Amino acid sequence: MASLGWRLTRGRGAKQLSLILCGLSAVVIAFLGRADAALFDRVRAGLSDFAEPALSQLRGPLVTVEHSVDNAGSLFTTFQDNIALKKENAELRKWQNVALSLENKLHRYEILLNAAHDPALPSVTARVIGEASRPFIKSLVLNVGAEQQVKKGQAVVDERGLLGRIYVTGEKTSWVILLTDLNSRVPVVIEPYHRRAILTGDNTPAPQLELDVGDGPVKPGDRVVSTGDGGLLPPDLPIGTVMQEGSTLRVVLFARPGTSDFVSVKAYSLPEPPAATDPVPAATAAEEPKVPPATVTAGIAAHPAPPAMPLQSRNPDVPRFDGQDEEQDR
Amino acid sequence: MSAAGELVELLLHHPLRLLGAAVPTLLAVLLVMFVNMPVSLTGGLVPAPALALACVYFWVLVRPDLMPPVVVLFIGLLEDLLSGGPPGLWAAGFVAALWLTDRQRETFAGLTGLGAVVGFAGAMLFAAAAAYGLDAIVYLRLPSLPPLLLESVSTVMFYPLIAMSMGWFHRHLVGPMRSGE
Repeated sequence: MASLGWRLTRGRGAKQLSLILCGLSAVVIAFLGRADAALFDRVRAGLSDFAEPALSQLRGPLVTVEHSVDNAGSLFTTFQDNIALKKENAELRKWQNVALSLENKLHRYEILLNAAHDPALPSVTARVIGEASRPFIKSLVLNVGAEQQVKKGQAVVDERGLLGRIYVTGEKTSWVILLTDLNSRVPVVIEPYHRRAILTGDNTPAPQLELDVGDGPVKPGDRVVSTGDGGLLPPDLPIGTVMQEGSTLRVVLFARPGTSDFVSVKAYSLPEPPAATDPVPAATAAEEPKVPPATVTAGIAAHPAPPAMPLQSRNPDVPRFDGQDEEQDR
Repeated sequence: MSAAGELVELLLHHPLRLLGAAVPTLLAVLLVMFVNMPVSLTGGLVPAPALALACVYFWVLVRPDLMPPVVVLFIGLLEDLLSGGPPGLWAAGFVAALWLTDRQRETFAGLTGLGAVVGFAGAMLFAAAAAYGLDAIVYLRLPSLPPLLLESVSTVMFYPLIAMSMGWFHRHLVGPMRSGE
């Protein structure tokens, strides 16, 4: 009887033809992947949805092993680490007092200026159930998806800063493209001169900074935060600090994807612009305000102007400075 | 007899032989799943090795009839999808490695010891170059080389272990299953 299996490839010529066809198929798939990424993203999301229970169960013991391996190296430097941490802690306590003082001062200014507060961002806490660190992709897999209202493009942060953005969403899982990934390009702002730039991943741990617009020097150690420009990411998410490498500016990221077990997915979108066709109510248009409204300072193109208010905070968390709270405290 | 008819006959009368023919593919799929498990023991510094390519290389040398191009394409595509990378790149790399190994089979099969590892390193680099080239053409960019080289090096380091494991499966599972009931 003829031998089994793979009959088509038995002949040398047939095998060569099969090889050529498979090679061409791979090239076609690669081009299709670029032209219609959603097609493969659906397959990928389906695969991760299917594997989600197993990945969640596997993650626990594997992370224990991973942490044990990480900790094994630090056993020999515990003493030095302890001394360094104590020094750092003392330094941070000084900065904490400065930060609290500045926070209080900022609240006072906001109240005096009747500034519009940034709206609280709805967020979903997710568990990292997978990570891929490969030459052509650096990503994480989360155990939240469309069922938890997670959508493509949303920002993902750990307790230190921005990790990346959602790029594939399944029903129960979603994939995060990290800032270090080759395909990642994120608009950022460099403090303190508010210089705009694009943070471009190149598969190295510190992504490149391509200066875009604005004046002012950029020097190593400057803080980099996200910008709400274009409605892509929420503004002011901490990202990292500037580092100079030859003539290239890079960013040392705050976030550590390798050690992030739980992350937060931030939902953000620009407010809907008012409909141009909405008629102005006749009575409102006719009535001239007798008293000019209080000045409102709002974020640039990010928030609708709030109604005129007397001098008090609209945020219940911000203490009032008209003396009422102090009296209650007493 | 048609291929479908032969398959049905095998399934009915020689199920073990059919299972034996599927073992290399199953092992490669398992390796793809294993390297894409949700953990990185190096904190993401070193990319996970492409162990499935080592498996494919071994079976192409030992039993090429059990590792046809369409299966290699499927394994490469699975690697792309599970790793989250752009689809088609590793699929092309795997098929390219198959093409090279198939053309130079006599040379590669004759290598032993360190020579066998060097032989696999050649196939690995050829696959990586094909994936890199295709990425550059399709996405009009030049990806960073060090991660790809690191992945190639880590894969080559694991080759002896994979070759020994696959050798065990060949001697104790595939061989007996394929030779009779």
